[in-house]
Amino acid sequence: MDQPRVDPDQELVKRTQSGDAGAFDELVVKYTPRLYGLVYNMTSNHEDTNDLLQDIFAKAYRAIRGFRGKSSFYTWIHSISVNMTLNFLKKRGRRFQLSLDDVDASIQNDKEFLQSTATSSPVREADLSELQRRLNEAMMKLSDEHRAVVTMFHIQGMPHAEISKILRVSEGTVRSRLFYANRQLQNYLDEFRKNPVS
Amino acid sequence: MDEFNDNEIARLLRLKRYEQPPPGYFENFLHEFHRRQRDEMLRQPLWRICLERVHGFMLRLDARSLASYPVAAAAVLACAAVISLKIYQQPETPRVALQSPPVLSAPANPGEELTLASPGIVRIRTQPLRNFNESAQTHRAAVPPHYVLDSVPVSYEPTFRF
Repeated sequence: MDQPRVDPDQELVKRTQSGDAGAFDELVVKYTPRLYGLVYNMTSNHEDTNDLLQDIFAKAYRAIRGFRGKSSFYTWIHSISVNMTLNFLKKRGRRFQLSLDDVDASIQNDKEFLQSTATSSPVREADLSELQRRLNEAMMKLSDEHRAVVTMFHIQGMPHAEISKILRVSEGTVRSRLFYANRQLQNYLDEFRKNPVS
Repeated sequence: MDEFNDNEIARLLRLKRYEQPPPGYFENFLHEFHRRQRDEMLRQPLWRICLERVHGFMLRLDARSLASYPVAAAAVLACAAVISLKIYQQPETPRVALQSPPVLSAPANPGEELTLASPGIVRIRTQPLRNFNESAQTHRAAVPPHYVLDSVPVSYEPTFRF
């Protein structure tokens, strides 16, 4: 049974629509870390992510008066983010070369990260930094649409239904894209495992 | 065979959650957002800034029903202005005899002699200001205006005594 869920951001949205800019600031603070992860894992570049994120919130602020609450604010702001990022990636096209500097060195000092990697046998055998670099490369080999699905499902932990609402595609399409993307990532990382030097 | 299976791929990808921007980034993000908003606003033309201020003011007054239809309200005002201009610009009907020189016309019955009983009436036929075709473009009346004025008003005629 689907219960109609109350949007937890409804009050902040209403206040913003009434001209309270402070309410929108609260929404910005709340969603910045999450959207940063989404955009960053689609672009693999901090600078682009920062610019895009600023544009996303600016666009959301301009458009929020027209937001009628048919979806939750969460879904709405994620839709804006994914669409703007996909448009950006199309424009950027092949000009972009993955910068290996994008690999975050601080991650290897993260306690939770070390605990997670300690249980994984392939990871244990590989150099973490190298594996992360390979993972980023593998991600960038996916098409933009597949990368978006992988980012939302695996990295952000969203359910299929939520992703389908954000992308406005069926759940079947989401599952299909995930399956295909997983196969591609698996092949790429297997190659790395068999031949780590290449 | 120790291959990456789906679970391991998923676990590796989840590790990317820990990739974070430089320290202090999220704290400064809002300030940067405000600064960019201000810069963008200053690039806008003055009328748009004023319009947004008025819109914001009306929203704060909770005049949402009015403020949500600014285009409709502006259209109604524009229509009212156009209609009122049309009304005031309509040509008025001339109340005074036209200024063209009078043209004496022959009496209706030229053979008839003038008698005291039938005082001669000199009719003044005015010339139309414009020709018919020209006036037809600006006036709705199909018949050209035709004015006939008595040279001496009847009320001013002296009483004849015999």
